[in-house]
Amino acid sequence: MFKLNKKLLISISAAAALSLGLSACMDGVMPSSKQSSPALASIDGGVSYPVKNNMTGPYHVNPQVAKDATKIFNGRVPTKAEYDAWNTDIMPDGTGLPEGHGTAEEGSDIYDAKCGMCHGDFGSGGGGYPSLSKGNAYDLHKTLTNQRIKPDEDGPVRVFGTYWPQASTLFWYIKDAMPHPQTGTLTDNQVYALVAYILNINEMEIDGQEVDDEYVLNREKFLKIKMPNVDGFEPKIDGPHGRDNVRKYFSNPDNFGAQKYDVNNPASRCMHDCQEPTAKVAYIQNGGIHDFHPPLSEVKNLPAVKPSGEAFNAARAYSANCAMCHGTDGMGAPVVGDKAAWAAYTAKGMDKVYANGIKGTDAGMPPKGGSELSDRDFKSVVDYMVNKSK
Amino acid sequence: MDIKKSQQDLDTVSSKDTQSASVGRRDFFKKTAALSVTALAGTSLLSSNAKADDSAIMETPKWASTWGDPVTKNLYGMPSKYEHNVTRRYTKLLASGNYRASIAVTPIQDLKGIITPNGLFFSRCHGGVAQIDPNEHRLMITGVNKPIVLTMKQLKRYPSVTRTHFIECPANGGQEWRGPQYNSLQFAKGFMSCAEWTGVYVKTILEDLGLKPNTNWMLAEGGDSSKMGRTLPIDKVLDDAMIVWAQNGEALRPEQGYPIRLLVPGWEGNLCVKWLRRLDFAAEPWYCKEETSKYTVLKPTGKAIQHFYANEVNSTVTSPSPEIDWSDLKDGDIVEIEGLAWSGMGTITGVDLSFDGGKNYIAANLKGLVLPKCWTRWSYMHTYKKGDELFLTSRARDDAGYIQPTIDQETLKVGVEAVYHRNAVETWKVEKDGKITHVEIRSQLDRKGKGPLFIEGKA
Repeated sequence: MFKLNKKLLISISAAAALSLGLSACMDGVMPSSKQSSPALASIDGGVSYPVKNNMTGPYHVNPQVAKDATKIFNGRVPTKAEYDAWNTDIMPDGTGLPEGHGTAEEGSDIYDAKCGMCHGDFGSGGGGYPSLSKGNAYDLHKTLTNQRIKPDEDGPVRVFGTYWPQASTLFWYIKDAMPHPQTGTLTDNQVYALVAYILNINEMEIDGQEVDDEYVLNREKFLKIKMPNVDGFEPKIDGPHGRDNVRKYFSNPDNFGAQKYDVNNPASRCMHDCQEPTAKVAYIQNGGIHDFHPPLSEVKNLPAVKPSGEAFNAARAYSANCAMCHGTDGMGAPVVGDKAAWAAYTAKGMDKVYANGIKGTDAGMPPKGGSELSDRDFKSVVDYMVNKSK
Repeated sequence: MDIKKSQQDLDTVSSKDTQSASVGRRDFFKKTAALSVTALAGTSLLSSNAKADDSAIMETPKWASTWGDPVTKNLYGMPSKYEHNVTRRYTKLLASGNYRASIAVTPIQDLKGIITPNGLFFSRCHGGVAQIDPNEHRLMITGVNKPIVLTMKQLKRYPSVTRTHFIECPANGGQEWRGPQYNSLQFAKGFMSCAEWTGVYVKTILEDLGLKPNTNWMLAEGGDSSKMGRTLPIDKVLDDAMIVWAQNGEALRPEQGYPIRLLVPGWEGNLCVKWLRRLDFAAEPWYCKEETSKYTVLKPTGKAIQHFYANEVNSTVTSPSPEIDWSDLKDGDIVEIEGLAWSGMGTITGVDLSFDGGKNYIAANLKGLVLPKCWTRWSYMHTYKKGDELFLTSRARDDAGYIQPTIDQETLKVGVEAVYHRNAVETWKVEKDGKITHVEIRSQLDRKGKGPLFIEGKA
């Protein structure tokens, strides 16, 4: 039998008794009244398959594994330094949030240098990357009840300011996983500045005070941020009853759009007139989406062979690897065709331009644009871009 | 070994076999003599016509008379080069600009049985597919009575379990809440795959580490550049959550998190954190980036479901499909309608099939293995009538008591802005020429102000 902390077992059993559900499946703690049932209700609204007679569902289980005699400790205890190196999470109550400070103005400069090439001017989004703001968070929070059930209706705005329940998520996200091509490279002060800037473009307040350009965000003020949508999520997962709330929520199919049938009398399920009389056939509109790569094909043939010795195609490599940043305005990178922008770089010599591209830059250009081109091929793509911008 | 000698042995054996076989054959002819006249009539051959004879039979192809490849070639085997169109596919709609926070989906129209080959298993990442050196990768488990750090070799010494489970992105079908958009099975339902996984139950490792009092939640975090993280309730951790290192008998592919990933059977794919490097335990949940900004279901009330774990009961017709249709069938051909059913909440107990878009159903047949939280095949034999228009709709149910909703039933409850967890029944229209079109059977919804949704004209 699987033994863990007694208190935990007791709390799980208590929850199970309340909701007729138990998903920590251990022999011996199962309510015996449910023996006839093939499975027991779980926290997710489904069933689980506790081990019975050394079987879980259709699978055999080695009973030796669950015995105390097989307690195994194969590794070692981590050092404090190792623990700290990876323990970078930040929780809503401020656990893990470092000291530091930064202003929206400082954040704006960092943003333009390291973030704008993907997230667009003022967090407007672009190139398949998420928007960070669509305007005033408090006003746009009201759009969350929008439903596009008819054509030309506006949908809900789901960005940081309008949707996210906790600001801690933003700090943690930026610190650990941004900028996307070079994660974990920002200092705590830079992250504070970026958070201040993102609050600023969402037109948010802290403690009644507008986060303007000069606002100095620090740990103390950060912990006072109240997100407009803090109460916008269900079930409630915080506090000692969080898991019970989840279990209760998913025990009611109406909460999540599910349908039930009588599992003990499956013949009673609907077999005739199961659609609303108002239901009609809806077809794909406007041709639908068919931008698939590679194009759909069920043909069994030999793959098209490239003519041997075909020259490296710089134009194709450009559109595959570079165009998403260098092809459109507002991504921070010099746009191909913009003579003035490119002249500023080529004036320093082509060797410098190549080197920047191959090594990447602080302004957000990843090494070789994130491509796997050889140095020689990469240089020919740079030549292609420069020639297009003369 | 003496090859010549063993060849002689083989010859001896086979000549003996031939003798006994010929006796048997004589018996057979005696017994069936009475039937042989009709049998011959039934198999009489057509008179030869050089033009009609199949050149695939009449001409000797190159591969039938010359050597094939030596066994020294392709020491890791690859599919036939004629199968090059069977691949994962992507679309720009579902991608960040450089395909590093993106998805490539599985060609389920081409798959057989319930196992997805590793090279076709759908691939979703948040910062690109990390290529991790297993010698330089560690798993750290903290927030427990006895914290631990493990090398991959140490981890794999724990007693292993092998389970067959699907993994599904909860956005499977999520582009079609407001109407069908993809005339493709691969894109309409291919954000999922199913494999046999080998690893260790998290609870087996925890047996010795010991949970602290009031532990409610576990954080799982990846070691790739995106540091993908998710919070799981301890209930699931102590039930069937696994740390897996093998998929279909070989090491995980990099796209699946090599060297290790979390496997949370039946639950949202994003909870199965790839390139796993850290598990932490606490009393309060974490609010990771991908558990509120994404993977939450916004309802018409303006409230969003968070921590929506299980992928609900679902099914699809896989044959025919928009990709492989019935345009080559003749009137009266007997054809198998085949499909997949799956539920993250339990085991499939049955599938019904409709020819009129889900108005009336008949029971289809399950076939093959029926396993918990696993793809299940179903089948129905159909006589095709040329020129018929059909609306093929499948509807699965599971042992937890759930049955797939109609589109109306589901959207009336959760609206059309949910993005995730769409499991209403799906419909393929069989056109008069046998081509397949993806359609949806649904009512026009209406609403008064910000009130609940209702069916237009039915208030």
